[in-house]
Amino acid sequence: MNERQSPSDMPWRNGSEPFVRIVDVSRSYGPVVAVNNVSLDIYKGELFCLLGSSGCGKTTLLRMLAGLETVSSGRIEIDGQDMAGISPWDRPTNIMFQSYALFPHMNVERNIAYGLYRDGLPRSEVTDRVADMIKLVQLSGMERRKPDQLSGGQRQRVALARSLIKRPKLLLLDEPLAALDKKLREETQFELVNIQEKLGVTFVVVTHDQEEAMTLATRIGVMRNGVIEQIAEPREIYEYPLNRFVADFIGSVNMFEGVVSETDPDRTLIRCEDADMTINVSHGVSCSPNQRLWFALRPEKPEISRHRPENADNVVEGVVEEIAYRGNLSIFRVRLKTGKQIDLTRTNQERSAEEPITWDDPVFVSWDAASGVVLTS
Amino acid sequence: MGRSRLRFLGRRVRRGADVMTTAVGSFFMKHRRLLVIAVPMVWLLIFFLAPFLVVFKISFSEAAMARPPYLPLTSWEDGRLLITLNLGNYQFLLEDPLYLLSLISSVQIAAVSTIFALLIGYPMAWFIARSPSRRRNILLMLVILPFWTSFLLRVYAWIGILRSTGVINNTLLALGIIDEPLVMLQTNFAVYIGIVYTYLPFMILPLYANLSRLDPALLEAAADLGAKPATTFLTVILPMSLPGIIAGSMLVFIPAIGEFVIPALLGGPDTLMIGKILWTEFFNNRDWPVASAVAMVLLAIIVLPLVRFRRARG
Repeated sequence: MNERQSPSDMPWRNGSEPFVRIVDVSRSYGPVVAVNNVSLDIYKGELFCLLGSSGCGKTTLLRMLAGLETVSSGRIEIDGQDMAGISPWDRPTNIMFQSYALFPHMNVERNIAYGLYRDGLPRSEVTDRVADMIKLVQLSGMERRKPDQLSGGQRQRVALARSLIKRPKLLLLDEPLAALDKKLREETQFELVNIQEKLGVTFVVVTHDQEEAMTLATRIGVMRNGVIEQIAEPREIYEYPLNRFVADFIGSVNMFEGVVSETDPDRTLIRCEDADMTINVSHGVSCSPNQRLWFALRPEKPEISRHRPENADNVVEGVVEEIAYRGNLSIFRVRLKTGKQIDLTRTNQERSAEEPITWDDPVFVSWDAASGVVLTS
Repeated sequence: MGRSRLRFLGRRVRRGADVMTTAVGSFFMKHRRLLVIAVPMVWLLIFFLAPFLVVFKISFSEAAMARPPYLPLTSWEDGRLLITLNLGNYQFLLEDPLYLLSLISSVQIAAVSTIFALLIGYPMAWFIARSPSRRRNILLMLVILPFWTSFLLRVYAWIGILRSTGVINNTLLALGIIDEPLVMLQTNFAVYIGIVYTYLPFMILPLYANLSRLDPALLEAAADLGAKPATTFLTVILPMSLPGIIAGSMLVFIPAIGEFVIPALLGGPDTLMIGKILWTEFFNNRDWPVASAVAMVLLAIIVLPLVRFRRARG
């Protein structure tokens, strides 16, 4: 998604006016703080993902945007309008519930038309718009069915159609694909993006599935314990996580704990005891001397070889302990002399290698000085 | 060919083993459903169908100064079995307007009471269904609690409340709001109060059962799509709770239509209810055949719409 636009098109980079402003918003239930002082700007036409594990406050934040949950403190603005005191039925938002919440006593057509009739639109216009929407979500022929006569995927489409039909300024989706099986989920992800681009509606999607967030989002907000840990584009979140939590939550990562032994603007050395090595990093780190920090290395970055590579910035010796064959790639788990394990992945480009690296082989793991991230928290 | 024969043999061997080890058990397993149903079936047969048939029979006989106070339907004369069906009892019900009037009045009183029970019971059921689960059980308990006291006692308590020297009149007189006591006892008003009060739990419980199953997300979805609370009620809650409304209304309407004790104790001489007429025919006039005919007509009035309703739904 982010690669289809040139950088200056991205409103969060060129100083555009945000479409949704969430300013210092908190929500507490008695002593429990579900959302803690969150500030967030969302721009027009964005597909913003709130990502986090269950109970992190992402759904509460979404429900506050819809007006289904009151804001304990702070302010929410949508399209320049303060949402304080505005009831859900008067808000320019629509929400798609995780359970879909389709009206079981109404057929597909009437479920989708529900919002339009509430606006007092004439029957002929409602019929036309519902017919268009049914075509868009590919539910033709299902108009007269009740929700319990539909499959999970069809119900998901009805829910989407029902929340889109009023052309909301902001569409909120709570785990929109969670109830679908893997194959259908992948197909639907792309459909969702297509629909979003076709209609130009701003989407806010809540999900716990990091792959889903990466596929869908223009930007991702990673939440934990009611706090947003990082807001960034998918690539940035993956390659430049701000802290250990984000690095660990998005994808998998090898974490090295160490102490800075030397740092200048284009080089840092980290003494890492648990791997018994000094890690070369190609940039400076602003930190106090002898500060404890972490070096995060994604499993696809390092190389694995039988012979000690020349000119490598970082090399460490180990033994292949585990190989997991995944078809498109293989995961190697290498145990270092210190007992620390490093996971790394290789794409299986060739159908059969001459002399494949196998279990218990002594190997060298090496990586470039620019391929990891230094984290201070 | 050979394969299917082998399979057949295998099955026979297995079945044989079954029969040997659990001959008695398999009988129970096979007829388990029947056994479970049998007990209530026999119960209904003895205590519902048999008395019904007896009453049905009496409704076709002729009243007599005898014991029991009616003539048998069959007689034996010159070697011939004579069956006399006396339709006069039913004819009599049509001829004397009292019966039709009291029937209409009963339906009306039951219907009005049902509506009031619904209007009072629905918000109560909604409130209980939306309460936190800890409080729900307590509230349900409070709804059922009156059943632990004798029904008669509770109706007598209403006499104490409604009569001219009762709680309400005394309070209003003492406050100077009225100069003369209001006549509430021995009016249809008192009958409505008695019926609504007595049968309210029967309205609340099925409504509660229905409303507590209503997914709150549906209400949020309606609000989100632009429905104000009143619209949400009319378009989502009401249609979805229709089965509960119908069940509750039946449970109030059916017993209310044949109610005898409440109109006898709280109603006045003008209160016409078919239950009271039935009582009078049976005990005062000792006209069992006419009383039975009244009972049959009442049953038909209640059962026929029920059957039609079931057919319309299913």
